[in-house]
Amino acid sequence: MRITEEELRKLTLIAMKELGEKATPASVKKVVERAVDKLTPVSSNDLPKSDKASGRIILTSFGLDHPGIAARITQCLSDSGVDIRDMSQKTMEEFYTIIMIVDITNSPKDMKDIQADMNKVAEELRIKIYLQHEDLFQAMHRL
Amino acid sequence: MQYEFEEILETIKMTELEHFDIRTVTLGISLRDCVDRNLDVTKQLIYDKIIKYGRKHTQFAKEVESQFGVSIANRRVSVTPIAIPFDKFKAEEFIEIAKILDKAAEEIGIDYIAGYSALVQKGFTTGDLELIKSIPQALAQTKRVCSSVNIGSTKAGINMDAVMMMAKAIKETALLTKDQDSIGCAKLVVFCNAVEDNPFVAGAFHGVTEPEAVLNVGISGPGVVLDAIKEAGNVDLQQLSEVIKKVIFKITRAGELMARKVAEKHGIPFGIVDISLAPTPAEGDSIGDILKAMGLEDVGAPGTTAALAMLNDSVKKAGLMASTSVGGMSGAFIPVSEDQGMISAAEKGNLSLEKLEAMTSVCSVGLDMVAVPGDTTAEIIAGIIADESAIGLINDKTTAVRIIPAYGKGVGENVDYGGLLGLAPIMDVRKISGGVFIGRGGRIPAPTRSLTN
Repeated sequence: MRITEEELRKLTLIAMKELGEKATPASVKKVVERAVDKLTPVSSNDLPKSDKASGRIILTSFGLDHPGIAARITQCLSDSGVDIRDMSQKTMEEFYTIIMIVDITNSPKDMKDIQADMNKVAEELRIKIYLQHEDLFQAMHRL
Repeated sequence: MQYEFEEILETIKMTELEHFDIRTVTLGISLRDCVDRNLDVTKQLIYDKIIKYGRKHTQFAKEVESQFGVSIANRRVSVTPIAIPFDKFKAEEFIEIAKILDKAAEEIGIDYIAGYSALVQKGFTTGDLELIKSIPQALAQTKRVCSSVNIGSTKAGINMDAVMMMAKAIKETALLTKDQDSIGCAKLVVFCNAVEDNPFVAGAFHGVTEPEAVLNVGISGPGVVLDAIKEAGNVDLQQLSEVIKKVIFKITRAGELMARKVAEKHGIPFGIVDISLAPTPAEGDSIGDILKAMGLEDVGAPGTTAALAMLNDSVKKAGLMASTSVGGMSGAFIPVSEDQGMISAAEKGNLSLEKLEAMTSVCSVGLDMVAVPGDTTAEIIAGIIADESAIGLINDKTTAVRIIPAYGKGVGENVDYGGLLGLAPIMDVRKISGGVFIGRGGRIPAPTRSLTN
């Protein structure tokens, strides 16, 4: 039986809650065994599908650097409930490049809407913004 | 960060600057269940089925396109070779079928539908003969229908009666579409060893062993390869091959990913990735330019065949590694009119028809989009088809002829279709004929190569 990270976290939480200060190796074992029993065995249906689309998008922006670009982009993402997972910036003389990994899973908008919003921002600031699903980079750059 | 800065920028550079796009997502639809003794009912069945599967083809492709930021240049449909399910119809009825295919293609918003085809490598059925008879009119009376006829295979030999028939069909098509630079011929392909899962129009058809519906993809990307070669600088050929392989690997992976997504949206199986390098007339999106970047003064220079062989082989090696579903033609295309580097070589007289023929022996797919003088006789065209087919026959590979005897035009002029079909300078053809040889008829027997069991 496979235990996912998520399940491990749950187990730890249960053990912590039940034992509090008075943890002994024997009591931990007991609690863990009880908790594992509660977990149903993983059937093939529960296994993550390898081609399941995640909500992770790579946002790339570049152009002539001027103040407020990162602020404007992140503000727009925040308004749409998009989670920024990672962000990196480089500048070369007057040009900048920003790359972000964002997660739109919890956003009420879909990728198309967010792209449309970003196009507006790009036009307004006279920069380029591209949004591409992470799967593309996985396919092209990872074996 | 999970991805290197360079990896992400490289991807953006490919899609935005180097014309990397998916050349075509082609929806294959079986028409085997669309037969009725009444022609009108048959037409309705065909129409309904294409609409049923193809209705959202364009929409799905656009959705995937925006999801990944990689453009899908064309959306096409291929159908069962029309002569097979509709064998009992007569030529005029086949033309009606062509028209309904045209109408269905227009309705679902695609530019070409392919599969007005017959497979006659070993002989003709009555339907095959009627379909071939109908081809010139069918192509003249429709805009979107593409036709192909397979006249030879390594297993069967070359049907020389069919070769002659097709040469005459090409001449007649050129005449009937003379007002548009004989454009009908650009939609007509003569094959040896045709493949059943080719996603590239005009030669696509949905083979009889294919499923009910399937999605195949043709990738593109000469621009990406060209830039990688230029960047590599002065390296030896093994290193150059490595450079080509790395780029092809990446674009094949992207192509397969996107095709799978389109197929998923359709709810139909994904078929194959055709890893052919397919040029477009856009500047920099040219196989000819790749050959020049490899070190040739111009396409047609001695060394061209060797360079092309190496390019083609590198593409295949990388494509095979990148995808488990490689199929279709999977080689480099060298259509003259659709490739700026090839057009310029032909215009300067550096590329002759004979050199082009030699080049086709090491890549796919044959003499493609080649314009010749309008007064070229059917016998000479038949000879060209026979020669090209012989290359396919003996080397167990696909070869094709898509030749345009431009009505009323001669060497020094050109045919200009614009768009993807491009511009073809009219190339010189030797006037000596192999007519008597072709005229003997019958079949060139299958070669020893066919006895592989």
